Amino acid sequence: MSTFFTENAWLVPVLPFAAFVVLTAMGKGLKQSGAWVATIASFVSLVLSLCLASERLSGNAADYSRQYDWIHIGNMKLSAGYEVTNLSTLMLVVVTLVAFLVNLYSLGYMKKDERITTFFSYVALFTGSMLGLVLSDNLLTFYIFWELVGVCSFLLVGFWFQKPEAKAAAKKAFIVTRIGDLGLLIAILLLFWYMPGHALDFTALHNVFHTQSGVITTSITTLIALLIFLGAVGKSGQFPLHVWLPDAMEGPTPISALIHAATMVAAGVFLVVRTFDIFEASQIAMNTVAIIGAFTAIFAAMIGLAQNDIKRVLAYSTISQLGYMMLALGVGSVTGAMFHLFTHAFFKALLFLGAGSVIHSVHTQDIREMGGLGGKMKLTAWTFGIGALALSGIPPFSGFWSKDAILSVAMDKQPILFIVGLIAAFFTALYMARLFFLVFTGKPRENQHAHESPSVMTIPLVVLAVLAVVAGFVETPFNGWLGNWLWGEQSEHNVNGLVMILSAAVALLGLYIGWLTYVKGTIRRDAISSRMPGLLKLLENKFYIDELYRALFVKPLQSLGKALELFDEYVVDGIVRASGYSVSAIGKLNSRLQNGQVQTYALTALIGIVILIVAIAGRRFW
Amino acid sequence: MEALQTLTWSDTWYLSPELVLSGFAIALALLDLFLPKQVNRNVIGWLTLAGLICAGVCVVLLLLSLGDGTEVNSAEPFHSLLGGSYRIDNFGNLLKLVFLGSAGFIVFSSLGTVKDEDVPIKGEMYYLVLPATLGAMVMSSSGDLLTLFVGLELLSITSYILVAVRKNNRISSEAAFKYVVTGGAASAFILYGMSFLYGITGSTNIALIYDGLNSAIENSEALLYISFFLMIAGFAVKLALAPFHAWASDVYQGAPTPVTSFLAVVAKGAAFAMLYRIFMGTAFFAIGSTGFIQKDIFLGLAVLAAAAMIVGTAGALRQRNVKRLLALSGVANAGILLTPLALSLTQFHTSMFSEFIYYFIAYAFMNIGVFSVLTIVSRDSGNETLSGFAGLYHRAPWTAAAAVVLLCSLAGLPVTGGFFGKLFILFGTIQTHTYWLGAIMLATTVVSYAVYFTLIRQMFMRSGELDTGLKMTFPAGITIWICTIATLALGFFPVPILNWINDVFSIQFDFLVFRG
Repeated sequence: MSTFFTENAWLVPVLPFAAFVVLTAMGKGLKQSGAWVATIASFVSLVLSLCLASERLSGNAADYSRQYDWIHIGNMKLSAGYEVTNLSTLMLVVVTLVAFLVNLYSLGYMKKDERITTFFSYVALFTGSMLGLVLSDNLLTFYIFWELVGVCSFLLVGFWFQKPEAKAAAKKAFIVTRIGDLGLLIAILLLFWYMPGHALDFTALHNVFHTQSGVITTSITTLIALLIFLGAVGKSGQFPLHVWLPDAMEGPTPISALIHAATMVAAGVFLVVRTFDIFEASQIAMNTVAIIGAFTAIFAAMIGLAQNDIKRVLAYSTISQLGYMMLALGVGSVTGAMFHLFTHAFFKALLFLGAGSVIHSVHTQDIREMGGLGGKMKLTAWTFGIGALALSGIPPFSGFWSKDAILSVAMDKQPILFIVGLIAAFFTALYMARLFFLVFTGKPRENQHAHESPSVMTIPLVVLAVLAVVAGFVETPFNGWLGNWLWGEQSEHNVNGLVMILSAAVALLGLYIGWLTYVKGTIRRDAISSRMPGLLKLLENKFYIDELYRALFVKPLQSLGKALELFDEYVVDGIVRASGYSVSAIGKLNSRLQNGQVQTYALTALIGIVILIVAIAGRRFW
Repeated sequence: MEALQTLTWSDTWYLSPELVLSGFAIALALLDLFLPKQVNRNVIGWLTLAGLICAGVCVVLLLLSLGDGTEVNSAEPFHSLLGGSYRIDNFGNLLKLVFLGSAGFIVFSSLGTVKDEDVPIKGEMYYLVLPATLGAMVMSSSGDLLTLFVGLELLSITSYILVAVRKNNRISSEAAFKYVVTGGAASAFILYGMSFLYGITGSTNIALIYDGLNSAIENSEALLYISFFLMIAGFAVKLALAPFHAWASDVYQGAPTPVTSFLAVVAKGAAFAMLYRIFMGTAFFAIGSTGFIQKDIFLGLAVLAAAAMIVGTAGALRQRNVKRLLALSGVANAGILLTPLALSLTQFHTSMFSEFIYYFIAYAFMNIGVFSVLTIVSRDSGNETLSGFAGLYHRAPWTAAAAVVLLCSLAGLPVTGGFFGKLFILFGTIQTHTYWLGAIMLATTVVSYAVYFTLIRQMFMRSGELDTGLKMTFPAGITIWICTIATLALGFFPVPILNWINDVFSIQFDFLVFRG
């Protein structure tokens, strides 16, 4: 069996990095061709990952890892390396596929932007960082790439920095995720401290926390797990750090697709999957993950009901779906989480790119100003519809199977969380129905000249739509192929007919109510809001979380900042000025000695040696 | 003492690098005399390069032929010639490689770059590099004070001439004169110190001095102090340690830029080699009943290292002339390079030499690279001030990028060779609990950012008077890029390089000369 692609998997992230370097170096000289360089690079890495996957699909491919010692300091060493497992292969395929489609799509979407080369270089860096993160074999390099991903999202969300909202959103995304990053950093430092031999590689983590549990006490384990989870919460936009994700919609739409489907938010879930042994060693951590996940799922789905910006609805739906993944992890189903991550990547990318196609055509993001676009944008409408059905969890679309995998485990382990998840599924179907019907059905607006997007933009939609339909069949209750391939063990997946029927039923119910409300008009649109105006206001304002943070954290911190500024100005700057002055005084002395007279030089040297002898040797004879 | 050993035919193999260099030097001197005036003297330059490469190959072969003293590799770990006055060991071989490589790059980068109007005797400038490098090699390979001194003088006297090759330039002549005076004074200091050591122990051979030291300590402690401190003062001048550094700025400014980088790298490295040879062979074992002498001598070195870092960095802040700025940065770097040796004042830390040679290799690359950039830039703009660098990014983005890497390495920013070199030396100060020296090193490093970023700011944020592209010569361009890539490689792969140094070098056979 060939292992060529496995051994050379490092090429996959290197290509986008190379594209980034080329684009940054050549810069303006490239013009439009720069975009093609990045697109071709991402295509080659897609091909490489597909070759890698096909190599590993045939039989029991052995895990492969290669390490390189970077620095030795005493008996401590820092190493860098990569590890190819079936899990990382799956992620590589998902990331490169979505990244390539996003690249392709952006060729059309960003065509008229002046800074198109910069855009593509950022996207390449973003992709490369995510791929590097996926391949990392230890937490340290993982963390480096994790931060790189964060930086790229900052750059891309704020890509249109002329808009003040985009600037603010980029800052918010950066700062909020930093809170989580700090948690992860502390967790890594704790692990470094407590792990035998200061090892940070995932194999050692597995050995310590899974095989020989008890080396590290339960309370420390819980602390570490919760801190790691804090990192994941920040990156994956889970409650209470979800606030950055909807605002991040200010970035170009292809970026939203990339962030929401393959790169940024997936990193959080992937982190928990990678360090799952630590979580399993602590029941408290597991419960926290499950509860936060379930709560986020229903919480964000409710907010999604009342949003009017097409991208914001999708953003809340991402938060909610990531909640499902966390719920799956919390109840111990890694397969469920990875499966949902896998299917979600396709249909969410599809939905965002479809939304982008709509925005590209009508130049607004407000769904109340849209309507009847289905007629003019048939391809977009059809593919968007498929994505919506997959997201709502209608069988046999992919979202149904992955959601079912999660819900059936939740049913076994935590029935209450199962019910929460089920209700969230109902809301999901409802807001997707609302979105779809408001945008694509109804009467077309007269003043809008909608048109179908160019084929570079629609081809990715079609590819993703196909995947959104079929991707679910890799793991059904009747055939646990994915779990088997990922972990090499037969998962105890039993057909739970009740769960399947219930989840399909609530999804259909949601769609039906949506249809009644927004198409048929049987139910009046303000049926609920007229009776409970407070509720609508609460949802529209996203439960006032942003306002709460502003009052609780932002304002006090700003006052503290003002106080510190004064301190900085008078005390710190004073010290800095004083030390700067003393350095330049030494410099002045030096230039006085350096007057060009060689006699002075000799005299200085003589005085120097006399002082040295007297001061050092003289004290012995005193 | 064994009878004076004469040189035999079989020994010529061990001396092949030195012999190759002297052969080339004599041949090229004659060739330069007989070659008609119209012939471009670059021929001599290429032949000089060939001589350096031949000698380098010989050194590599010798390096490979030496064993490591273990049973696995039964080849002799070192070879002693002429009654122990000349030694072929891996300490010397490593340094010789760096010297030959540096000299080679310097000669190569100046081919076609140095202008005839500036240096009317280009042929001499090229072939004099050979005896100068030969002197440096003798300094790194001797086991006898006299041979060491002969090497030192060979290097120094050739350097005086090299500084003066800009015959029509008044600054150059003045610089050469100053260099003769201060260099001569330094040689006198060193020779005077050596004579005390000879007087006390009765020998000039380092191994025999070691034997005689222990009895001498009890009787003539004060004389030993004077001997070692006189040598320290002499070497401090040669290394341009503060406050013995004042000549450096003037000389660096006056000399043609390739010669400046030769002084900054090869001459400085050779002085370090000699310092290691003498001090690790003698002063380190001057312990006696109290152990004061040994501690005090290395404390003296540490104080000089600290002073050099502080004065060099602070002085560089005020410089507008890039060559003078780099001279002062060289003063600060000499302090850093001295630190590993100086740390022996508390205890023997075994990684001392690898810390030194690692940073020295990084130092050689970044200096040769920066000086090559400077040669090209000043050739274009006609002056050597900071303003010559203004707007370099817009005129030559790739050269500016390379210069940024090199300057970051000088500043000690990751991920470059300079960063890891400084880091390893810093770890040495922590290992030996010499925290004050480490703190000074850190503080001066931070201040030095301001120095190097002034240059970077000029390149990127100022617009220069010239807006035409930079006229790059092919050899200089290649040199700049090799130096940049090597600097990055030292940053990305520090461990393999350090491991290799540790494999090649052994304290037992390379420092402890008396064991031979």
